[in-house]
Amino acid sequence: MSGGEAFALEKVSKRYGDLSALSEVSFTVREGEAVGYLGPNGSGKTTTLKLLSGLTRPTAGSLRLGGIDPAKDRARALASVGVLVETPGVLPYVRGRDLLEHIAEVKGLPVHERGAAVVRAAKRLDVVEPLDRPLGTLSTGLLRRLLLAGSLIGDPRVLVLDEPTLGLDPAARADLRRVLRELRQEGRTIFLSTHLLEDVEEVCHRVLFLRAGRLVGEAPVEAGAEDGATVRPRTLRVRTSSASPVAGLRALLPPEVELEETRAGREFLLKFKGDEAAQSQVVRALVTGGVAVSRVEAVGSDLGTLYLQKVGREDAA
Amino acid sequence: MSALVANARWELIRLVRSKRLFLLVIPVIAGPVGSLLAFLYFAHVQANGTLLTHGTALTLGLFVTGGLAGMVMLDLGALTVGEEIARRSHMISFGLPQSRAGILAGRLLVVFGLTLGAFVVGGLLVWPIASAVVPASSGEAAPLFDPVHLFEGVLCLLLFLGAIAVNASVLTRSSSEALVAGVLAGVVTVALAGWFTYEGQISMLFPAVLLAVAVVALLWSFLRFESLDT
Repeated sequence: MSGGEAFALEKVSKRYGDLSALSEVSFTVREGEAVGYLGPNGSGKTTTLKLLSGLTRPTAGSLRLGGIDPAKDRARALASVGVLVETPGVLPYVRGRDLLEHIAEVKGLPVHERGAAVVRAAKRLDVVEPLDRPLGTLSTGLLRRLLLAGSLIGDPRVLVLDEPTLGLDPAARADLRRVLRELRQEGRTIFLSTHLLEDVEEVCHRVLFLRAGRLVGEAPVEAGAEDGATVRPRTLRVRTSSASPVAGLRALLPPEVELEETRAGREFLLKFKGDEAAQSQVVRALVTGGVAVSRVEAVGSDLGTLYLQKVGREDAA
Repeated sequence: MSALVANARWELIRLVRSKRLFLLVIPVIAGPVGSLLAFLYFAHVQANGTLLTHGTALTLGLFVTGGLAGMVMLDLGALTVGEEIARRSHMISFGLPQSRAGILAGRLLVVFGLTLGAFVVGGLLVWPIASAVVPASSGEAAPLFDPVHLFEGVLCLLLFLGAIAVNASVLTRSSSEALVAGVLAGVVTVALAGWFTYEGQISMLFPAVLLAVAVVALLWSFLRFESLDT
């Protein structure tokens, strides 16, 4: 992270008639930072993103995007921003390439560079083949990836993304997270609004919690802070079919694994940080050590626990 | 300016991909051909004693071509903005680094330019066709409308209909409601024109007022479009 301010909100409020969508929200996101924005439905996440994208104006307060207020000078403020807010509708008869080339033109790319920029963005999201198909014939997932490709055109330094993995199948979701991690590693600023805690855990350095239009907390995300992809805090609940002493288990496990006995000799919580392979190694260490493991289940992440503490049970993913 | 050019190009792509571009053929071909059929009919009736002058033929031809161009203008005007807002695809264009005025100006430039252009071509074709079927003769009675004035008046009417449709689409966020608003505006305008003609009070002031209303409606559209909340 280079540390300069990418964008900032200062006491921003937004009302729609009698409804208060956002209330005095303030935060700063620094250049190169990946920040998750979590909150239940109707908490004001999309409104925040619309404000950042110049799609709507605040009722009170101010915001700066690269030091510029998007409501005052949208063109300059959004010059280095890639935006995907909600799921925009598309004109079904228009082709993907038409839309992406239009975006490239509006972003000021010279004519001779537009075609290559479109293909580069499409390749990154694996949507080269559908480029020449009418948008109305694409599946939800393909369309979403194509729109995301559009947000990458022009090499934006800041990405403002609303539920980017919505509607994607698990494989496509994993691919997209990989792309987002790559973008983060390239030093781009990512602001990611999502319901999916996994998205935040795998991509972000920090998370902001929003509830009923107010920021109710923030926390660092350990996994996102590291370069290394899917390494994240994990908790496994292990049950055994015969009584196993804690000391016996302790001796089998690597020292970095925290061990907690939750049912005398029969159930344990194992906390550690690692990827899927590390998780398998932990379980294998128990089995090869002669522990009669009858059941292993992953329990909610630390972020999930924190989410529930901050915004309540509603919509926890 | 770059937003205007980009959006003019985008509007052209939309017209081509949606095949609405073919609508522009209507005033160019159906207008003069429809006029020709009408002239031939009236020429036939004239042979049996009913009078069709060259001036009246031009008037009739411009009404036919202008009416068809009006329908095209209403359709394209309502869709140019209304379709995107109704489908929420403006969430893409509004999130791009461009002014909203540039978006609207670029699109209207294409829709208004092409439709007015189609009427001009179709309307001008009426002249040689009318001359071929009903040659001008000295001493013929003056038509109800001066053809040149009518030609200019239809241009103002087309701009008026387009502006009303665009304004309604921005206000209602719906292309279908904008189309209805445009049709109603057209009906009221034609009724008023008919009344003034009946009273013998029709003049170039009428299209001038239509043009002024069109300008106001367009300015209002730009203001509303600029502050359109998503």
